[in-house]
Amino acid sequence: MQLDLTVNGVARRLDVDSDETLLHTLRERLHLTGTKEGCDEGECGACTVLVDGRPIHSCIYPALAASGTDVQTVESLAAPDGTLSPLQRAFVEKAAVQCGFCTPGFLMTLTALLDQNSAPSRAEVEEAVAGNICRCTGYSTIRAAVQQAVGEVRS
Amino acid sequence: MTAVGVRASRPDALAKVRGLASYAVDYAETGMLHARLLRSPVPAGRITRLDVSAARTMPGVHAVATAAEAPGHRNGLVLMDTPFFADDVVRYESEPIAMVIAESPQQANVAVDSITLEIEETKPVSNVEDAMAPGATLVHPDLEQYESIPGVAPWPRSGNAGGILTSDPGGVDEAFDAADLVVEDTYVVPRQYQAYLEPKSATASYDGHRWTIHVSHQFPHNIRTRVAQALGVEVSRIRVVGHHIGGGFGARLDLGLEQFAALGAAMIGRTVKLVNERVEDLISCMSRENATIRVRSGVTKDGRIVARDFECLMDGGAYAGDTPYLTSIALLMAGSVYRVEKARVVAKSVYTNTAPTGAFRGVSGTYICFAIERHMDQLANALGMDRREFRLRNLFRSGDAMLNGQVLDDADILREAFERVEEVAPWAETGKGRLRGVGVASVIWLTNPSAGSATLTLHEDGHLGVATAATENGSGAVAMGIRQIAAGEFDLAAEDVFVTMPDTDSQPYDAGSQGSRTTHVVGMAVHNAANKMKTRIFDLASNLLAALPDELELRGGNVCVRDDPAQSVPLATVAKTALGSGGPISATGTYSVPLPKWDPDAAEGLLFPVFPVQTYHVHLAEVEVDPFDGKVKVTRYVVAQEVGRMINPDGVYGQIQGGVAQGMGYALWEGLESKEGRYTRRTLESYGLPLAVDVPDIEMIILEHPHEAGPFGAKGVAEPPIVPVAAAIANAVADATGVEINRLPIDPEQLLAAIDGQGD
Repeated sequence: MQLDLTVNGVARRLDVDSDETLLHTLRERLHLTGTKEGCDEGECGACTVLVDGRPIHSCIYPALAASGTDVQTVESLAAPDGTLSPLQRAFVEKAAVQCGFCTPGFLMTLTALLDQNSAPSRAEVEEAVAGNICRCTGYSTIRAAVQQAVGEVRS
Repeated sequence: MTAVGVRASRPDALAKVRGLASYAVDYAETGMLHARLLRSPVPAGRITRLDVSAARTMPGVHAVATAAEAPGHRNGLVLMDTPFFADDVVRYESEPIAMVIAESPQQANVAVDSITLEIEETKPVSNVEDAMAPGATLVHPDLEQYESIPGVAPWPRSGNAGGILTSDPGGVDEAFDAADLVVEDTYVVPRQYQAYLEPKSATASYDGHRWTIHVSHQFPHNIRTRVAQALGVEVSRIRVVGHHIGGGFGARLDLGLEQFAALGAAMIGRTVKLVNERVEDLISCMSRENATIRVRSGVTKDGRIVARDFECLMDGGAYAGDTPYLTSIALLMAGSVYRVEKARVVAKSVYTNTAPTGAFRGVSGTYICFAIERHMDQLANALGMDRREFRLRNLFRSGDAMLNGQVLDDADILREAFERVEEVAPWAETGKGRLRGVGVASVIWLTNPSAGSATLTLHEDGHLGVATAATENGSGAVAMGIRQIAAGEFDLAAEDVFVTMPDTDSQPYDAGSQGSRTTHVVGMAVHNAANKMKTRIFDLASNLLAALPDELELRGGNVCVRDDPAQSVPLATVAKTALGSGGPISATGTYSVPLPKWDPDAAEGLLFPVFPVQTYHVHLAEVEVDPFDGKVKVTRYVVAQEVGRMINPDGVYGQIQGGVAQGMGYALWEGLESKEGRYTRRTLESYGLPLAVDVPDIEMIILEHPHEAGPFGAKGVAEPPIVPVAAAIANAVADATGVEINRLPIDPEQLLAAIDGQGD
C-alpha cells in the first residue's frame, strides 16, 4: 500500500505492507537503523520516534497510521554539519551513554518533553521516560543530562 | 598532560547519540538470507515425529536444518554435554530443534510454523530439590560418558550434579559443639535475566573453507573456539568480527546463535542472519542461575564465628555451561570478609529441565553475598549484638586467608570502607523511624585474570591506534579505560588515541569483557606494548635530536630531551622517519594476571581457585516500606568501592550506578520463577526491570590503593557493584519490618501481612 509521509524533513512515498510497523518501514525500507528494536512489544522504548512531535513506540505503531505525518528519528537531531543538539551533547558530557542501544529512544522521548516543557521537574522527567528502559546506567546520568540540556536551552 | 584519572568523553558515545553506531542487529550484507529456529515448546520429552518436508518447499525457503544435517557430536563450555540440535530428547523449553533459512524473516517464520513436531512429554525435573532427591529422573543418563574440554582438571560429577565442590577441613563438627549458639537459615533466589536491550543475533558467511561471523559479543575469541568446537573444525577457520554491543552483562560470553548461522551459511553458501525475538531471547537466555543456599553457623557469646556449614545448590539448567566453575565461588566467599574459624562447604551445579543458566555480572556472588549477609544479621540479632559491630569484630584483617588458603595482604581496606561509609551515613542515625531501616553488606571480589592483548601502532600523524579483541560492552572499559591508559603511556591526549573493533583474524586472543578484567588485563597488555615501542621511538628520536635514547622522554605528543625540553621532535615526525628506517612503529603486548598462591587441597572440584587482584566493597542501604502496599523504596544508597586507581571517574561512577540498579532489580522486582519447567514471567513487561523512577542517585565513595603491577594502578571495577546490593537492601527491609527476608525478590505481600499483623 502507498504511504506518504515526511521523515526527517524529506518527503517520502513508499510501498508498504498493510500490517507493517513504522519501525520496520524506518529500519528496513529507509535504512534508518538509528531507531532500535529492543522488544517488539512496546515495552522498552528503544524504538521511540516522534510522529508530529509526539513520542511513540514505532515497533507497535502501524506504518500506515503515520500517513501524512512528520516523523523524526534520532538521525534528525544533530545539525547537518554534525553539531549535536543540546540534549545529545549533554548525554555525551554527562556519560549518560553506555551500551547506547536505548539512547536513541531516550533522546527522542526527552526531546519531545523539552519541546513541551522547558523546565521539567525530576518527577516529570521520570514520568516522561516511564516507557524507556536503560539497563546500563541506573538512570542518574540520564537525569543529569536532562538538567544540563535544560540549563543550556534556557541560558 | 595526563589522560589518566580524568574525564574524557568517549568516542563511541558520539556515534551512539547520533544513531550512527552499528550493532550486530543492524549489520547486513547484500543477498543475505534470514534464519529462524524451531524451539521446543515443552521442557522435557522425546521427539516422536519431526517432519520438515512441507517447510522445505515453502516459498522463499532455501534449506531446513535438523539434527540430521548438523554435526552429531556434543559441545560445551566446560563439559561437552550439549547437542547441536535436540535429536531424540528435548531437555528444556526453547531448546533448538530445527532451523529454516529463507529469503525473508517472515518466510522463515511461516515455514517454521509448517513443521510437524510431535513430542511425547515427560515430567520435567523442574527444580534443584527434585533433581537431587533420591531416585530422581536423570536429565543426562549418559553424564559419565561426556568429556570435558581439554586443559580443565577432572572434577566430581554424578547423577544430576554436573559439578560438585566439596571442602571439609575437619574439626567442623567439634567446633559447632563448642559454640555457644548455632543459627541456621535457608535462602532461595530466582533466576535473573540480563535483559540487555539488543536481542541476540549472528550473521555468518562461508567461503568454502572459512567462516566469518558478525556479532555483538563480549568474548569473540570464545565464539571462535565454541563455533569451531560445535562444527568440529579448527579454530583458525573461524573469523569473528565484533560490532557495538547493546548490553551483555555476561549473557554474551558463550554461544548464542552463532553456530546456527554458521551451519546455515555452509549449507547454502550465502550469508545467513539469525535474530532472536524478545520472548524467545528471554526464555532461552543463559540467565543467572536460581539457587538454594543453606547456612549454619556456630558463634561464641562474644561474637566470634567458630563454625560454619555452607551448602549451595545452583540450578545449571539442562546443560552445564559455566556452572561447574561457579561452584568454586561458594568456597571463595563462604569464609571471606568475616573470619570463620572452621567451615565446611558443599556446592553443586545441578541439571534440571530448564533453560541452561550462565554468567550474569557478579555470577553466583550476588546470592552467596545475600545469604551470608542476611545470615550475619540473623546471627547478630540472635546474639543481641549490634549488626555493624558484629561485622567489625569479625572483619578480615590484612594477612587473613580465605577458605582456599589465599592470603589477602590488603584486607584492612575493608575497615577503611566501613569507616568511610560511617562518615557519610552514621549507622546510629540512619534508617530510623517507623517502617524505615538500614542494612549493610560487604564483599571481596576478583579481577578476572585471563589473558589479553593489544597491538599499538604509532601513525604518521602522531596518533596512536590500539587494535585489540577486547570488547566495549558499554562499560567504557575500552572506550575510556584502554584508550586513556594508552594515551597515558605516551603522554598523549585521549583524543589522539583510537581503538579498533574486535576481529579475531587480526588480533590475538582476548578473554572478553568478563569479571571486570578489561581495564586491568588489557591495560597491562597496552603497557607492555608501549614499553617495546618506546625503545624504538627513543632510538629513532635520538638520531633526530642528537641525544642519547635514555636522555629522552615523551611529552604532549613530542619526544623531548628530558633536561632541555625545548629540544624536541613531534611523534608524527618520528613515525614518518620510521617508515624509511626499519618500518612502522608498532608492537603487541600481552598479559595475564599471575595467580596468587592457594591451597590445592582446600577443596575437591575447585575449578576456579582464586580471587586475583581482589577489591573491597561496602554497601549501605536505607529503605522505607509503604504501610499501604508493602512496597520498598530505597531512600539512600551508599557504596564504598576499592578500585586501585580511577582511569576515568565517569567510567567508575557509571559502573557503580548501573550495577546497583541491576542489584536493586534483583532485590525488589526481577526474577524468572518457573513452574513445571516453564517461566511464569515471559515478556520484558512482566519481567519487572527498574525504571528511572525506581532508582535513586547513588552516593559513591571511591577508595584508591593502586595495584603494584599497573596499569597506572587500576583494578577491576565493573562487576562487583551488583554483588552486595540485594544483601544490603534485604537487611534494611528486615530492619524496617522485622520480617526475615530469606527469598528474593522481596515480596511486598509478605511485608504487608507482617505490617498489618503488627497493628497501627
